[in-house]
Amino acid sequence: MMMSRADYRTGVKPVWCRGCGNFGLLSTLTRKLFPGLGIPKHKALVVSGIGCSSRIPAYIDTYGFNSIHGRAVTIAQGAKLARPELTVVVIGGDGDFFSIGAGHLPHAVRRNLDITCIMVNNFVYALTKGQTSPTTPHLKRGEGAFLSRQFYPPVDPLLDMLSYSVSTRASFIAQGIATDTAQLGWLLEEAVRHKGFSFVSVLTPCVTFDPPELFDTIREKARYLREGEVVELPESSPDTPWVHDPQNIGLALRLAEVSLMEEPLLGVFFKGGGGMTDAGLSAG
Amino acid sequence: MVALGSLLQRLAAWQGYFSHMLRFYGPQIRGGATAVRLSLDAEGVSLPKDSPDILVCFDWEKYLEVDREVPLAPETVVLYEKAPPSGLRLPKKSFEVDFSEASRQATGSDHNKNVVALGLVKRLLGLCGDRASEAIQTDEGLHLLKQNVAVLEAGELLLAGHSFAGLELCPAQDRSVKVVLHGNAAVAQGALRAGCRAFFGYPITPASEIMQEMQDKLPRLDGVFVQAEDEIAVMGLALGASIAGLKAMTATSGPGLDLMTEMMGLASAAEVPMVIVDVQRCGPSTGIPSKAEQSDLNHAIYGGHGEAPRVVMAPYDVPGCYRLLVEAINIAQRFQTLVIVLSDQWLGQGFVAVNDAFLKQDYPLEELKRPGGEETGDYRRYLMTDDFISPMAVAGEEGLTYQMTGLNHNEKGWPAFDFETNQQMHRKRYSKLMPLCGRDGLVDVFGNENCGRGILTWGSSAQIVLETVRWLGLQDEVKVCVPQLIHPLPERVERFVKSTDKLLVVEMNYSGQFYRYLRAQMDMPRKTELYARAGGRLFSRKELSGPVTEVAR
Repeated sequence: MMMSRADYRTGVKPVWCRGCGNFGLLSTLTRKLFPGLGIPKHKALVVSGIGCSSRIPAYIDTYGFNSIHGRAVTIAQGAKLARPELTVVVIGGDGDFFSIGAGHLPHAVRRNLDITCIMVNNFVYALTKGQTSPTTPHLKRGEGAFLSRQFYPPVDPLLDMLSYSVSTRASFIAQGIATDTAQLGWLLEEAVRHKGFSFVSVLTPCVTFDPPELFDTIREKARYLREGEVVELPESSPDTPWVHDPQNIGLALRLAEVSLMEEPLLGVFFKGGGGMTDAGLSAG
Repeated sequence: MVALGSLLQRLAAWQGYFSHMLRFYGPQIRGGATAVRLSLDAEGVSLPKDSPDILVCFDWEKYLEVDREVPLAPETVVLYEKAPPSGLRLPKKSFEVDFSEASRQATGSDHNKNVVALGLVKRLLGLCGDRASEAIQTDEGLHLLKQNVAVLEAGELLLAGHSFAGLELCPAQDRSVKVVLHGNAAVAQGALRAGCRAFFGYPITPASEIMQEMQDKLPRLDGVFVQAEDEIAVMGLALGASIAGLKAMTATSGPGLDLMTEMMGLASAAEVPMVIVDVQRCGPSTGIPSKAEQSDLNHAIYGGHGEAPRVVMAPYDVPGCYRLLVEAINIAQRFQTLVIVLSDQWLGQGFVAVNDAFLKQDYPLEELKRPGGEETGDYRRYLMTDDFISPMAVAGEEGLTYQMTGLNHNEKGWPAFDFETNQQMHRKRYSKLMPLCGRDGLVDVFGNENCGRGILTWGSSAQIVLETVRWLGLQDEVKVCVPQLIHPLPERVERFVKSTDKLLVVEMNYSGQFYRYLRAQMDMPRKTELYARAGGRLFSRKELSGPVTEVAR
């Protein structure tokens, strides 16, 4: 059965600002991911927490649950255990996944249920109007442009989501960008197809509370990671080139250390083999 | 000591005796002072007397740490191993017995001194029925005796020259073998009986036995079990399983209930069926983890921000734990609501031997109100209906997709930010529970209905109140009302209050939470007294006899 975008949209009008990166994610999900994989809408469940991106379930006509700040990943796992045939997607922001909900992530990785977490990283608490988040670039006051517009600069170093995910050994780790929906669509398809816990970071502009220079810089510096191609790391040389291999967790760790502000990498960082079955724990 | 109590309880259960056994233990991880208090009864479960008929003591120093729980009376027969410290005056019938030596003689080690003691107590009680050897051979719970029959026999021969007339048990009235279990096991088994197939938990005293029982049994029933990273995740997992169509629950104690509170609000707002069992312990904060208190009532009824209606229930005995879990899961499904069941450490961890009728009884089960089919295309998850309960689809069902949210929402489940919808949805969530006020069957009234003196109590306190009334012979002078459904409050409770001119409320918390909850809803007799105090020690007949006599007067 062919499904069109219209099949996956509800009649609810998004609350997001004009130009918000979340529109890119919404259309990727409703135009590409669900129809592309032929997932009937009743077989999908989208769970979110609280934040701008977490408003998304109301706009997608699958089963959906816009739940509590930081807790979406717990609800998603419960549903997946109860109904393994569901395609379960968790959506949240940087604050949602990596501040208030950070404690749940390593355990979700450990359980390795077949669910896909999409972290919409816009570097700021936008729903509450511009406070710093764990991913707001850390700079001293007056040092540069990468500060949220309204409030104080972050005093703590940022928490790097990719390093965190790699270090906890999430079985699929990727990063995309909201402005390249073609690649994002492919990454999400790979993530959903992967049998196991998948984590996808989506670099997303916040047009209201990020200084424009922040996302402009990311977009300019972004480079694509492709399997089999040489990665540009200092350790790599023409004589002994380092070739990207998503099965290599050591390489993934090294790549995750590359600073997002210096060289944002887009692609599949890591893809472990032999994830758990659909049934996950209940199979045991 | 615990092994001695458990083995004796089980042996007696095989002969048809009812019993109740409570364990007292301190903060030590292992060892430390431990005592059990076991009462055997030929007619029905009764609570242990305030002082024992027989006391077995292996270590007087340890005894002095728990002597408030098992105080000596002048007529107590004491069997002890080592001489008491000077200053401790023992009753007349006290006997020094070298249990360790008897164990050494039989097996070469003193590890089995508890079996020796059991042999002696068994003889004193005349518990030598024909079923004893069958029990030892077949009951898994008695395998320690199977390996040590000679030790048991050695114990039976001790103090052979003494007469212990008067200690022998009367024959059990009904010789059927009694089932031995505690409230936590009954909770788990009741939930499974009601169709619970998803349990998520996090270890906590004194509720962990429920989780362990579920961990043991659910896999064999194709159910889902996860020990999660914390109680927040526990509730998330349970809500996820519930929206996907499984009957889901969890069990915890006060500190865990704190962490679950944010999702109690979500379950109420999004109308997701959910059951939480709170095995209460002394609070606030870490409190006394190993001792009972009834101090989570306010939290259960009101906990959380905003106004999140839910159902609160409280069993008062072990078979009641089983029955009430069936009710709780039924109510959660039927009303698409959160149900909190308040047990406590005493009820949860106290072992009883009882008739197994409650396990064999037929229990009707309730399921979700389902969409009828005509909704396809325009399914409204939160449709306003006459009974305020909307047909509920579960994730995965074709043609019925919908979106839930903790935001205020309209009939479709979509976010709504206007007063009218907010008011309408509050009304829906409150009103749908109102039929529960007619559930008079969830209120037990004991005694002479026509007398004007009444006692209202709840949870495990009810057992000791009823026992005290019996002990004082006041069954005709005062009636006792025990609601097992506490919120919303059944009308029968108000009728009970209205029928009295003198009333006593008994509960184990410092501030009288149940009393205040009642007062907020109804006028109470001018002569209403409250007997409430913090937990940490069980109520005794003696303690309650003052207020109970006073109200009956």
